[in-house]
Amino acid sequence: MSVESFANGLYNTPVSTGIREVTWIIPAVQSVHIVAIAGVVGAAIVMDLRLAGVLATDETPRVVVKRHLPWLWSSLALLLATGFVLGLGEPYRVLMNPVFWAKMALVLTGFALTLLFRYPILHPDYRLEHARAARLVKPLAWASLAIWVAVVFCGRWIAYYQ
Amino acid sequence: MDPDAAPPNALMQALYDSAIGTAIRESATLFPWIESAHVLMIAVVLGTIAIVDLRLIGVAAHRRGARQLIVDMLPFTWVAFVLAVVTGTLLFLSNATGYYESIPFRFKLLTIVIAGLNMGVFHLTAYRKIGEWDDRLPTPRAAKLAGFSSLTLWLVIVFLGRWIGYSYPLA
Repeated sequence: MSVESFANGLYNTPVSTGIREVTWIIPAVQSVHIVAIAGVVGAAIVMDLRLAGVLATDETPRVVVKRHLPWLWSSLALLLATGFVLGLGEPYRVLMNPVFWAKMALVLTGFALTLLFRYPILHPDYRLEHARAARLVKPLAWASLAIWVAVVFCGRWIAYYQ
Repeated sequence: MDPDAAPPNALMQALYDSAIGTAIRESATLFPWIESAHVLMIAVVLGTIAIVDLRLIGVAAHRRGARQLIVDMLPFTWVAFVLAVVTGTLLFLSNATGYYESIPFRFKLLTIVIAGLNMGVFHLTAYRKIGEWDDRLPTPRAAKLAGFSSLTLWLVIVFLGRWIGYSYPLA
């Protein structure tokens, strides 16, 4: 079964049709999606800029990450849930769109970077200066921010690359 | 659009016909790029302001205050707010006559003015005394109110913004 025929099958299901036809569902779910983006962006800005040495330098990286990481995860979960509903309602718009797949690749990369480089910081014995990849901490923090920014741009461009 | 509707507002028509408005409207890529930047700026404002507001409301429980974080972060919030207004203005110019007719757009503008004023009031009052309420829980009632109203206003702005594209005359 090709992606296209899968999208076609999905499009014709009652759930998909329902999401599309009830006028307020898509804008409302998109709005929640945007609020969740703000959650990720806010948490990412604080954590990444702390690691880059720009913000909140009076607090240890551990305190900052511990406080903001849960918000990042909850927001990502909400993004996946709302994104799933949006994709379900308009399967062609997502599945047949290279911009959407680029966005998903970036999200996965951002997710992996966060997993690999934020969790070690939570360990009580973690010291930024003694970290194995100490020299990579700052550039990766900026890269992380850049990835989330790119995700936002891809997200909007999905609508224009049809 | 409805052919029997009143003729477009002269000022809005002039803005629509402006060089900038026309350039954005006729370009295949300018509008999407400016709109994406607009969305990013809104996300930055809402995301950073939520951190301050949740602290004001007393939701996120800290053993220590987050004074330095808030002090460090608010410039980002303000810069993002200004850039959101700039990108928003550019988007508006590309279809001044259309957006002018949109009720959700008008309410969004009103809400933005209120949110901006709310931010200004916060700076002139609670922020000045941040040292007093920063380390205490529960937070003073004025701080709770400021945090709650700020968060609500910005959430309303997001929903109104999305609604513009799904209602007359942009739908």
